[in-house]
Amino acid sequence: MSIIQAKNIYKVYNETNVPVNALNGVDLEIEKGEFTAIVGPSGSGKTTLLNIIGGLDLPTEGDIYIEGTNLKSLSSRKLIDFRLHNIGFVFQAYNLIPVLTAMENTEFILELQGVPKKDREKRAMEILETVDIADKKDHKPGQLSGGQQQRVAVARALASQPKYIIADEPTANLDSKSTEELLTLMKKMNQKFQTTFIFATHDQRVMDKALRIVTIDDGKIVSDTQFER
Amino acid sequence: MLLAIAWRNIWRNRRRTLIAASAVFMAMALALLMLSIKYGSLEQMVSVGINQVGNLQVHDSGYWQNKSIEHSFFDNPKVEQAFKGLPEIKRVIPHLQTFSLASYGSQTKGIMVSGIDPKLEDQQIGLSNKIIKGHYLQKNDEVLIGDKMSEFLKIGVGDSIVLLGQGYRGVTSYGIYKVAGIFHLPSNEMNTSILYMNLTDAQRFVYPYQKGLLTGFSIYLDKPSLAEKIKPVLEKKLGKDYEVITWKTMLSELLKTVKFGKAANQIFVLILYVVAAFGIFSTVLMMTMEKRKQYAVMVSIGMNRKKLVWLSIMETFMVSIVGVVAALAVMSPLLFYMHFHPIPVTGDMAKMYLQYNIEPILPFSVSSSLFISQTVIILTLSFLSALYPVIYVLKFNVLNAFRH
Repeated sequence: MSIIQAKNIYKVYNETNVPVNALNGVDLEIEKGEFTAIVGPSGSGKTTLLNIIGGLDLPTEGDIYIEGTNLKSLSSRKLIDFRLHNIGFVFQAYNLIPVLTAMENTEFILELQGVPKKDREKRAMEILETVDIADKKDHKPGQLSGGQQQRVAVARALASQPKYIIADEPTANLDSKSTEELLTLMKKMNQKFQTTFIFATHDQRVMDKALRIVTIDDGKIVSDTQFER
Repeated sequence: MLLAIAWRNIWRNRRRTLIAASAVFMAMALALLMLSIKYGSLEQMVSVGINQVGNLQVHDSGYWQNKSIEHSFFDNPKVEQAFKGLPEIKRVIPHLQTFSLASYGSQTKGIMVSGIDPKLEDQQIGLSNKIIKGHYLQKNDEVLIGDKMSEFLKIGVGDSIVLLGQGYRGVTSYGIYKVAGIFHLPSNEMNTSILYMNLTDAQRFVYPYQKGLLTGFSIYLDKPSLAEKIKPVLEKKLGKDYEVITWKTMLSELLKTVKFGKAANQIFVLILYVVAAFGIFSTVLMMTMEKRKQYAVMVSIGMNRKKLVWLSIMETFMVSIVGVVAALAVMSPLLFYMHFHPIPVTGDMAKMYLQYNIEPILPFSVSSSLFISQTVIILTLSFLSALYPVIYVLKFNVLNAFRH
């Protein structure tokens, strides 16, 4: 069964006098365990689609279902709670909380979920070990390299045990080595824990690792290809 | 963890936080210093007033509204008994006051005759120190008059003054007394119109047929604040025939002046706090603008906006509390030191203070209400400053915040 079902999604932005059609009837289904890249030129609508899949934005028309729950039916407060328990985020600029250490950043989401202190410390440590950054657990983001920060961001996303992880241009600010390491890590998580990853990317290196590539242009899906790698 | 985030967030820009906290510190420190001196002076005025009238007075029921000699009473064991068993009472001074005509030669004047216990009265208000000619009351049939009355009646020390008035129960009271001394009190009204005599002389003057007539007792307590507690106790013990009046009622005009004096100072304090409020608000504004992305990330990953509201409130309060704690830490010891070692007033100003029976010092108040009120004002300003980030956090659009 699909964990994500986007049905006939339209998104129109009316922030200026001229309405902008960011998505024009997108239908997309994503199964558990997929490692999918959404690609397309700038302004094609891939980030808008990712925001809608991530519950950060709602479609103007159409419906988005996550394991049967229509996100449009949720109140703003419930939507935040839904994201907390179901969706992990990895951002292009890492977006870690700058005043918290790597360990605390990972723990933070568990605290939001109400996990007791002892359990969350244990789980956060395990995840940091999994993403191979445990030795930097007491470092704050400013003391870490871009690649290390993105590993912590992945750890934070994994900590909440989400149904899927949204990653918007996660390698855009990383050098080749860090990109390779991050992709290897994500792939490992995908294979080991069946974690679903959905990327929006321009990066060929990400596309080369993806098992499915959805190409979007002018707000429409123009191709959808699966790979055996 | 929210507490840790808030605390660390405010120190991300250490200099800015210190500038905002310094504005709070300066405003609060100056306000405390200024108000401590002002409140100290006003408290001193009240203290002098209480010293004159007592913390409580006991009269015949209705005397306070109608100060007639007909509302006097005879000293009796019931009244004496009521004062016993109350360790808070430090001193009880009986008095008898009545109106009379005073005459010398061809001059006559309406005056107030005040019968006092010379020893007790002197202990309490130091009347003997106010004598500028002659001597203090030493024996019966002697009186003390003010310098203005002396000028009006053209009477001096050693002369005899004739008193004629309405006594108790319709008796005509009269007597002839020797002027033992002339006093000068701070109040010209008192110098013009009051005459002091021995209590037993006054009782004989007003009602010669029975001893012990009084218009009231002035009661001095260990602390002025105990007056409200002791009043109902005494009322219960004395019954309906007597009334018990607190110093707040007796000095109501003075208290109005004190209240006005405190309010007038608030304008300057307000200016100080407006500066502090802008310091806090500008910091909060900058912090909010800087953290739009951080807020957006927090909401994205699932942080409830209510928690974010708490976080922003905590940050605002922490900046203020740093300033408040610093101001209290610096000013409390300083003001307490000044309270116990007040600045002496010298020269003509000191003479004026002494004329008003006020110790020539610049007193500093260390009333807890002073510190509490200033802390509450700062925290209220912080709360108002926190409204901006609170409204922002409740309303902001996550994706727009990311774009910024």
